[in-house]
Amino acid sequence: MRRALLAITGLAASTTALVVFKAAPGTGHLAQAVPAPAPTATEKAEPTPGKGATKPKASSSPKPTRSASGASRSGSSAAPKTPAAQPSPSTVVGPVVRNEFGDVQVRITVVGDEIVNAAALRLPRGTAQSDQRSDQVDSRYSGTVGMVVERQSADLDTVSGATATSDAYRRSVQAAIDQAR
Amino acid sequence: MATATRPGLRRVEPVMGTPVSLDIADDRPMTELAALADEVFAWLREVDARFSTYRPDSEVCRFDRGELLLSEASADLRRVLERCADLWGATDGFFDAYATGGLDPSGYVKGWAVQVASDRLRAAGADNHCLNAGGDVRVRGHSSTGLPWRIGVRHPWNPSAVCLVLSGTDLAVATSGVYERGHHVRDPRRGAPARGLRSVTVVGPDLGLADAYATAAVAMGVAGIGWLDRLPGYRHAVVTDDARCLHSTDLPLSTTDPVN
Repeated sequence: MRRALLAITGLAASTTALVVFKAAPGTGHLAQAVPAPAPTATEKAEPTPGKGATKPKASSSPKPTRSASGASRSGSSAAPKTPAAQPSPSTVVGPVVRNEFGDVQVRITVVGDEIVNAAALRLPRGTAQSDQRSDQVDSRYSGTVGMVVERQSADLDTVSGATATSDAYRRSVQAAIDQAR
Repeated sequence: MATATRPGLRRVEPVMGTPVSLDIADDRPMTELAALADEVFAWLREVDARFSTYRPDSEVCRFDRGELLLSEASADLRRVLERCADLWGATDGFFDAYATGGLDPSGYVKGWAVQVASDRLRAAGADNHCLNAGGDVRVRGHSSTGLPWRIGVRHPWNPSAVCLVLSGTDLAVATSGVYERGHHVRDPRRGAPARGLRSVTVVGPDLGLADAYATAAVAMGVAGIGWLDRLPGYRHAVVTDDARCLHSTDLPLSTTDPVN
């Protein structure tokens, strides 16, 4: 009975920790990087070649707002209220832009001086798949999984951790241990 | 500076651009302990002079420039090159001593040098010691309190806290993380900074291998967790970019710590 109570309390505590960590700044890089303007926009990451280039009016809904990095997303904010009397559309394929997540390439369709469509020809695949991958790792993982915790443990003899720079060493627990000697 | 209450010797010196902390807990005359410590630091400085990629006159740099043939290289360099080649295969190319273009075996050399120093201390009869070079740790025997060595693993977001406490009498513990110099571990396949894992700690018998495995796993990203899980003879603890902590069930966590 007492154990059950402890287990429930522990579960509640770890859930709280999870929520706190999720909300902590600097831990949710991906979530911060995506401004997520339209709810449906993130799902439509697949390039749609052939569409829009010939029929600018049909593709006037502003759907292309995606790309995880936000690096080379451009032009999609222009509201394509193109009058029908405009000259014929032309397509422009942008250069391949490399960012930290991979390669991004965008093709835009222009009528007059307005962008009427934009499609991603290339997107970093790793970004979109990273969540799925970590789930796969968890399901096959034989070890213990939880949230990282902070410990102010006393009686340590030494500390393992990358302390390559002198500044990092000064702030490290290892430095405190060394000074206590 | 050694205190009178505990036997043994403790010394901190900067070597290879990083602070190296040595703790010999054997109850032996101070002159003997000092001589042992001198040998440890002399060896680490020798390794730095011979294997540094920052010194143009180092053996590694001369070999890389083709001024030195493999047959003319020292036994140490040949062994290191052999191990690096083995590691390249064992890590599916993610440990790559040629990742930066030229030869840079640093990812293996530091751990290896500390391992050799620890082996020499034991051969010299110093069975109880702890050697930490920039976060790469090799412990043997017991601390001067008579208990197994207690090794903290640095918390990847808080340098003044630890996230795990390990304990053991014969352990190599290496941690590789991206929290120190930003995302400096590169995925050698994509040439881009590695993402997904904030910190990887590998525990096992050999510090050179543990260090290389930890670096390789960081380069692999999230896929490195599964790779570590299948690694025979070595245990691991991983903290992901989204603050999850995953570790081997048989990781030698300290049992005296009630939180563990």
